[in-house]
Amino acid sequence: MTLKAEVTQHTASLRRYALVLTRDATAADDLVQETLVKAIDKADTWQPGTSLRPWLFRIMHNTHISDLRRTKTRSDAAPDLPEPVVPDHQHTQLELKQVLEALDQLPEAQRKPIILIALREMSYAEAARALDVPLGTFMSRLGRGREALRQIVSGISKGKLSVLKRKGNI
Amino acid sequence: MTQENTHERDLGLDEDLMAYVDGRLPEDKMAEIEARLARDPEARAATASWRHHDNLIRQMAKDADDLPVNMQIAALERELAAKLKARKRRAFVMGPALGRIAASVLIFTAGWGAHGLFGSASQLRGAEYPQFVTATMTGHQLIQQASMQQAEFQSDEMEAALDWMSAQMQQKIDSPKLERLGYTVETARLLSTSEGPLAVFHYRNEQGDQVSVSVSPHAPDQSDYKLRVVRMDSDSMAYWTDAGLDYSIIGPVDVGTITTLAAAVRE
Repeated sequence: MTLKAEVTQHTASLRRYALVLTRDATAADDLVQETLVKAIDKADTWQPGTSLRPWLFRIMHNTHISDLRRTKTRSDAAPDLPEPVVPDHQHTQLELKQVLEALDQLPEAQRKPIILIALREMSYAEAARALDVPLGTFMSRLGRGREALRQIVSGISKGKLSVLKRKGNI
Repeated sequence: MTQENTHERDLGLDEDLMAYVDGRLPEDKMAEIEARLARDPEARAATASWRHHDNLIRQMAKDADDLPVNMQIAALERELAAKLKARKRRAFVMGPALGRIAASVLIFTAGWGAHGLFGSASQLRGAEYPQFVTATMTGHQLIQQASMQQAEFQSDEMEAALDWMSAQMQQKIDSPKLERLGYTVETARLLSTSEGPLAVFHYRNEQGDQVSVSVSPHAPDQSDYKLRVVRMDSDSMAYWTDAGLDYSIIGPVDVGTITTLAAAVRE
């Protein structure tokens, strides 16, 4: 595979990751562009012979952190964020919404490992490098994050169920 | 901490369950984990949830593939690829061994006759030095000749490297065998030069001295090169032709040592 083809492939991955991080197509493309501009600027820090993917994701990770610090967007802008892209099945749509809501409640350190691994495009070691943490720390954050996500989603589901029950819809 | 919390924490830190969910569990552990899940409803529920949540997240991420083409991103991709390509070439040219060699060869090319020669100095003085020697050593010449690195192999890939290089050169290439003199191979590279393929092996000994050995097919219209040893500033170099292949070896050692190393390669 040529370097150009490799960059194109990784950019598609960056776009997927950015879309989940930002929940907005325009914001995702902005993040990807910002990442690529920084990558061009830092091209000399890439070590030939090493995988390009973790290097690029690491730049995106740092860029996203800077953006969050600068604008404090996630919590402030959350009410204005558009609905996620709608899957066909309404139940799946509801589930996705719940999972995304639950993800928003997780600390950034747990949220990103979950998303990176869900994309299934990197090994644990590569994902840990992308987030600039030791593998053990990464695995711990991934595991704790997944469990926390499960508990939150379960709580959201139970809460919505009880509301429906109170309204007499069930 | 409650017992329930302890259990939750344990599930989240269970790397076997993580690997199972992510499809990265070794085959030999699969049956064990599946049996465990069959008798542990809590672990079963947890892994099912983790996998389901991953699927939902991945489903959303894939929507990015349907976004319209972004021309700015496409332009940045091209620019990045060009930068990385330049970076790759520069890293190779200025790599630890070739960077040093490139510096040495400036002295070598500028002062071929000025340095003391080991062997038949009179034959070399004023003579054209072989193309393969220059191609091995000079980073700038590699660029001028549009040389490109075709492949790089690590120390544990030497068998595959030799097979591949032999196929590329259509001639059997053997390991330089410097291990018996205390050198360990670090990498092997195959370059494509205007003169044909060029294999370069990088070795290092316990003192940290780096030695590079190159092998390339001998040009049929050239006469064979007899062994010659040259002293260049802090480096020494030897080159020769043997059985249709041109060899050169260079390192920061004295002429006696480079001759010994050359003899080891020739055996």
